[in-house]
Amino acid sequence: MSIRTVLTQLRWRMTTTPGLLAAVTVGLVVIGLVAGVAGVLAVRQRAALVRDVGTFSGPLSVRAQDIYRSLSEADATAANAFLANGVEPAALRQRYLDSIAQATASLAVALRDADDRGAAKLDVLARELPVYTGLVETARSYNRLGTPLGGAYLREASGLMRQTLLPAAHDLFQIEADRLAQAQRDGATFPWLVLALCLLALAALAAAQVLLARRTNRVINVGLAVATVAALTSLGWSTIALTGAGGHLDDGRERGSTQVHVLAEARVAALQARADEALTLVARGDGAAFEKDFVATVERLAGADGASGLLGQALAGASDDRDRQLIQEAIDQARRWVALHKEVRGLDDGGQYLDAVKRATDPGAQGLPATFGHVDDALTRGLAAANDRFDAAADDADGALRGADIAIIVLTLLLVAAAVVGLQRRIGEYR
Amino acid sequence: MTTGRIRRVAVTGLAVALLAACGAPDDGPPAAPAASGSLPRPVNVADPAVIPSVAAAPTCDARASLRPTGARPAPGAMPAGSTMARIVERGRLIVGIDQNAYLFGFRDPRTGELTGFEIEIAREVARALFGDPDKIQFRAITTADRIPVLVDKKVDMVVRTMTMNCERWQQVSFSTEYLSSHQRLLVNRGSGIRSFEDLGGRKVCATRGSTSIRVIAAQPSKPIPVSTDSTLDCLVLLQQGQVDAVSTIDVLLAGLNAQDPSTEIVGTPLTDEPAGIGINKDAPDFVRFVNQVLETMRADGTWKKIYARWLTPLGPTPEPPPARYRD
Repeated sequence: MSIRTVLTQLRWRMTTTPGLLAAVTVGLVVIGLVAGVAGVLAVRQRAALVRDVGTFSGPLSVRAQDIYRSLSEADATAANAFLANGVEPAALRQRYLDSIAQATASLAVALRDADDRGAAKLDVLARELPVYTGLVETARSYNRLGTPLGGAYLREASGLMRQTLLPAAHDLFQIEADRLAQAQRDGATFPWLVLALCLLALAALAAAQVLLARRTNRVINVGLAVATVAALTSLGWSTIALTGAGGHLDDGRERGSTQVHVLAEARVAALQARADEALTLVARGDGAAFEKDFVATVERLAGADGASGLLGQALAGASDDRDRQLIQEAIDQARRWVALHKEVRGLDDGGQYLDAVKRATDPGAQGLPATFGHVDDALTRGLAAANDRFDAAADDADGALRGADIAIIVLTLLLVAAAVVGLQRRIGEYR
Repeated sequence: MTTGRIRRVAVTGLAVALLAACGAPDDGPPAAPAASGSLPRPVNVADPAVIPSVAAAPTCDARASLRPTGARPAPGAMPAGSTMARIVERGRLIVGIDQNAYLFGFRDPRTGELTGFEIEIAREVARALFGDPDKIQFRAITTADRIPVLVDKKVDMVVRTMTMNCERWQQVSFSTEYLSSHQRLLVNRGSGIRSFEDLGGRKVCATRGSTSIRVIAAQPSKPIPVSTDSTLDCLVLLQQGQVDAVSTIDVLLAGLNAQDPSTEIVGTPLTDEPAGIGINKDAPDFVRFVNQVLETMRADGTWKKIYARWLTPLGPTPEPPPARYRD
């Protein structure tokens, strides 16, 4: 049989009502299946993106955050431990060791999943961190011998930290944050193709109904009506699930990750200023550059008025009263800290070095270390809350998509079956 | 070559090729990238150092200071209107010092108190003013800050191994000499370096803004000068092998040597660098007063006592440098 005869036969069959109805059945089945498969694929792909945000990009950015923070903390703690002559307080020493251990552990995990840009930064960190710790230990040894050379080694270590390690950690943090934001945006875009295919299926069903009404004089075909309901349900379900997931991701970005970013930067700025403060004293007169950096960093942290800068930004971005309270606490304590810092500088610049050190290391509840501790603590808790909010939003997004793919499969099968059965009955009437 | 030997070579070659092919799986662990270690540098190192252009050196007798006039006023009873009277009224003498120069001005690790040769010299001036060596406020300053803090009157005097030279005499005044020194070299023991002649094309460190860095740059053997913020940073660089020598006045080198016995001081004394107490140019009365205090210290053995307490690593206690005056 040649193709031409097939076509001729087909054209002849189309002119008869049963032939036309059979062709319509095939058309509806094809459109229904295509729309259904596209819907399932879209939901599955979206679910993968959402899971990527919650289980991959999200944790990666937290790890980068950890590295950045641990390194800043090591810098601040090493410098502060130095202020005590020779024998450093055990708690500070432990904190320094913990920071290094935390940074190294996060580094090892981060290396596994980093992309090329991130890996280049991690490579710098992996190479230079041992050099840094070596310098800090040399500084400690000379400090225990009581020679000024220890301070010179500590300055060199801190220089390496600030000029090489922290910039690499900051870049890594930025790279992972960008990656997360991109994943969040990808996950939140609406799949228009699926919507179009669903609408096409609905239009085809409507057209079939009109055709049937004209040819058979029956207004409603139960099979086609059921298929239409199934198509509408499928359209509604996937739209709600996909927009819901997108909404949760947007929410997670706006109230979670953006706030996490600001608070993480604020916390690192606070730690850097704390290191500057100690290094100014450790440098014993050669520390003007550190004090300059302290002033600049505190301004970045809290602005010239003490209530703007990163902290002001965090306050504006806080999403509930508890958050606002935490950040306000950080602002108030930072103000007290800067006031105490000015007293320390006044004493040191006035030549009362020992009194300045005493004030800077005052172990009392109102002392400078305790006040800085309050700033750090408030920021840490704010950061934890923002991280939790991000995690919850990622979970919600995942939850919004749960079951949607099964539902679309079932509804598609129902649509196809109902259309076939409905039309088959009409075709049967012609035999 | 026999046929058998050729065959053996061929078989071995084939075997090696096959083994190599087997030993190269597609998905092995990635090879570690070639990495080489590098040491960081202290902050603000200039390599090579920028050598300040030397203004046409005025000629003068750099050691000659202002001669004391009359009898020394009793402590607390300074002539009205004098610089000393203003200091006594303030209640404390403000002195620019070095907190990081071992043996000269540094913090005693046990007590945290400032101590050293120059600190004690400064305290003698406070004793003469107030009758109390503790009525004193020390301000730690950098090498490059020495002249600015004097010109801006942020301190009453600077005791910080400040070399008296004609160029500086244009900006500030000096007391008579309280310590003489000479620029020499500090090198790693066993390095074989004995003098600047051995340092052609090699790196030699000194602080920014010091006379030493110019002397290094002017050596005929053409060493590469490297400058840092503090002499201690130079010792760090030497210990890390990033420079071959540190070159500054021998008294400061002795302070570095005392912190690291693996170094040694070598080289013929290059320059003659008298250290004087720097004072603002507008306070000739205070210069004369400080010179009176130094005269007393030379005469009554105080100078020798202080020297012996701190600077024995430099050798046996010498006679104090004699005072020279320009009237």
